[in-house]
Amino acid sequence: MVAFSVISVSIMLIIGVVLYARFSDISREEMIRSTQKLMEQTGENLEDYLISMRQISDAAYYNVIKESDFSSQENDIQKGLNLLYEANKDNLRSIAVYNNYGSLMAAEPVASQKEDPDVTRQGWYVQAMDEMENMHFSTPHIQNLFNDGTFRYYWVISLSRVVELTDGGDSKLGVLLVDMDYSSISRMMKQINTANTGQYYYLCDSDGEIIYHQQQIQISDGILSENSKTAASYKDGVYDETFEGEKRKVLVNTISYTGWKLVGVIPYSSFTHGMINIRYFIFLLMLLMGMMLVIINRVIAVRISRPILLLNDSVREYEAGKKPEIYIGGSQEIRHLGYSIQRSYERIESLMKKIVWEQNERRRSELDALQSQINPHFLYNALDSITWMIEAERNDDAAYMITELAKFFRISLSKGRTIISVKDELQHAKSYMNIQKIRCKNTFSVEFEIDPEVETYCSVKLILQPILENAINYGVSSMDDDDCGEIRIIARQEEGNIFLEVKDNGIGIPEDEVDLLLTDNTRVHKHGSGVGLVNVNNRIQIVFGKEYGIHIESELDEGTLVSIRMPAILYTEENRKLLEKGYYSLNRKKIIDEKRRENKNEQQ
Amino acid sequence: MSNSKKMFILTELLLAVMVIIVAFLMMREKNSGNQDTISVIIQDSEDGQWSAFKYGLRMAAEDLGVEMVVVSTEEKLSVQEQQSLIENEIENGADAVIVQPACGAGAEEMLQKIGKRIPIMLVEYTASREKDASALPAVRPDNGGMGTALAEEILKDYEGNLEGKTMGIVSSTLDTEAALNRQEGFLDVLEGKGVEILWTLSGGEGLAEEEEKVDFVIALDDHSLIDAGRAAQANNLHGAVVYGIGNSTEAVYYLDMGMVECLVVPDEFNVGYQSIQEVVRKRGRLFRKMESIEVSYTVMRRENLFSDKNQEILFTMNQ
Repeated sequence: MVAFSVISVSIMLIIGVVLYARFSDISREEMIRSTQKLMEQTGENLEDYLISMRQISDAAYYNVIKESDFSSQENDIQKGLNLLYEANKDNLRSIAVYNNYGSLMAAEPVASQKEDPDVTRQGWYVQAMDEMENMHFSTPHIQNLFNDGTFRYYWVISLSRVVELTDGGDSKLGVLLVDMDYSSISRMMKQINTANTGQYYYLCDSDGEIIYHQQQIQISDGILSENSKTAASYKDGVYDETFEGEKRKVLVNTISYTGWKLVGVIPYSSFTHGMINIRYFIFLLMLLMGMMLVIINRVIAVRISRPILLLNDSVREYEAGKKPEIYIGGSQEIRHLGYSIQRSYERIESLMKKIVWEQNERRRSELDALQSQINPHFLYNALDSITWMIEAERNDDAAYMITELAKFFRISLSKGRTIISVKDELQHAKSYMNIQKIRCKNTFSVEFEIDPEVETYCSVKLILQPILENAINYGVSSMDDDDCGEIRIIARQEEGNIFLEVKDNGIGIPEDEVDLLLTDNTRVHKHGSGVGLVNVNNRIQIVFGKEYGIHIESELDEGTLVSIRMPAILYTEENRKLLEKGYYSLNRKKIIDEKRRENKNEQQ
Repeated sequence: MSNSKKMFILTELLLAVMVIIVAFLMMREKNSGNQDTISVIIQDSEDGQWSAFKYGLRMAAEDLGVEMVVVSTEEKLSVQEQQSLIENEIENGADAVIVQPACGAGAEEMLQKIGKRIPIMLVEYTASREKDASALPAVRPDNGGMGTALAEEILKDYEGNLEGKTMGIVSSTLDTEAALNRQEGFLDVLEGKGVEILWTLSGGEGLAEEEEKVDFVIALDDHSLIDAGRAAQANNLHGAVVYGIGNSTEAVYYLDMGMVECLVVPDEFNVGYQSIQEVVRKRGRLFRKMESIEVSYTVMRRENLFSDKNQEILFTMNQ
């Protein structure tokens, strides 16, 4: 999800930046293009205006001045000039004709001339006289010619030219002055200087002298400055420049004939002026897209990962021992995975059952095999003793022995069960001991110490007999008649276990042989059934587990104690079946305990 | 709650906070078009002497992106009238006021009280007659310097020899710091030069034909100069040469027509421009104290009236 989010956010950022850059470029190009168009339009308007002024000058010269004599036709000249002035007075301040001495020949509107204005020293007059063949446009200045009594000083741009005057029939040179009202040009320039984005336009002459600038006074006062000298040197076009640390685009458009330059200035900051909100908008859009993407990512991730997580949870529960249904859901691949896991678990379970069954079967076979080793030996010995008694005509003893032998075998068979009650096991031991005592002519005594409660518990069948056999053969049989051999069988209960102990006062077993008795299965038995303690120990451990079995304590010339430890499991049909199936050794003691408690409760 | 869920909620919260911030910035950017409004209260606001001053105000307002309103007023304002006008302007949403103080007791206190509420800048002169006693900032011409320059021009014309000459001084008022400083600057220079001041007129009564004949008439403000110019044009000054301080096209006209010998012109464009500039600087910074500014002046004579520099001054007066 993180990688997907990072990639999507990166793509979004790139799109945002590219979008902004493209938008910014287009906006910049559009701004320059519209500025160029506006400047071309304004340039045309200015040219039209200046052409109209030149046409006025031409009309005044060719239609009025050149056609009349100032001496005889002064009224006609005045009338002609008046007509021209009246027709164009919105844009004109005055029309005046001066002779080559600087004296006023005619003027419109009629006003008193100032006392000695000395026009010959004024710029427009000097320019006209210097280059007679041309018309000259001055820079804006205050008209210093007439006194109209209004206390006002007018800003004008003077169009001056040398003209030929006829005065009293004589042809003389003179200067025709058309003073254009500066406010007309100022108005045109103000119309395009309305943007408050930092973009502005100004007009300068070919020397860079400012004709119109919206901050003209600030510039002349030194509050601000303008790069008009450089701009005047540019040809028409778009230029990049840095002025006073500010990068800006400069657009130059030359006004025909006058050489004036209409300059448009677009500081780079004004490109971004209108873009700030666009920048915020794009950023906002990206943030909202980011929020959407995160939500979409989340939904997709949850949709993908949820079936996997559910599958994982069901597998975990399964591993914890519960048996939940394996989750099957989500996309086809995850469903397939679920099915596979489910099939695997089912297979494992069936295999496990099979293994348990096989183990039980094997254990059962082993038990059967082990028990089957006991019977033939003992039967041989017993029958040998009975034969011997019958031969010695000890018929009662033989009958008694046969009875005991019958009890013995009844319990040995136990309907093929491997688990019997302790009571039966003790009875089996008693029968065996009774038979052995007769065989050994009562050379030893047998004593049973039985805790009656122990008799109710379960025991592995035929575990005491081999121990007793050993106690007789190796413990007490080789003792002198004077030393009365003694075998004690003790059945007791302690801390949830039952202990069946066979204690003799025989010759004892050497210490190094004690350990071998339970480990060495290859030991050759000189006497007895040939079934060793190893056999008994294995059978106990197969049924109850490794923690149970036989423990031997022996001291030479003192005697031996063989102790069988088994769990105290109440002998019931159900428990017997469970034990025979081997569930106890598969850690099912708990179940058995529960069963045992239940059974106890029932009994109470 | 799983880590990824926490991460998801945190990311969404973070993005939501950023969206709110950007939306707030957008709204602020949208509202940033609301310009500050500065009200200007000057006496006799339509008088020609204010043309350059108002042009300066207008230019500064355009350059600095503020809205400027000049309140239309009659010739003279009392302290109470001025206070009422200022209160009205504040009620109408003025963010700062530029005031030419009214003459009268309590003007300084009244303006100081208002100055605690919104920035207030004085123009032309301080509210107290002693400029150092005024606590409020003022943008004004160098009044003392103009008086001095006027006197120096007379001395220059007469090569420092004014022995036996007589003089009459006209001033619309002698109650303002400007008038007092101009007079003081003027008299300081002429002290000990042998010129005798025969009369001093103030209070706006104007020049009368009956006034005693003098060699020079000194007009210390625009109104007085126009009066003197008119009187000279009507030959009512008995040949007295007029020197004066003025800042209207009419004053310049009398110079142009030769009725006035020398004219000292305060740079009223800059008085207007810099007063707005200073107020805007203050508006930007809470703890900035507005400074008093003295602007320069120009000495005009008929010979240099149409010099490039003077043409620009005339340009501002014509707006």
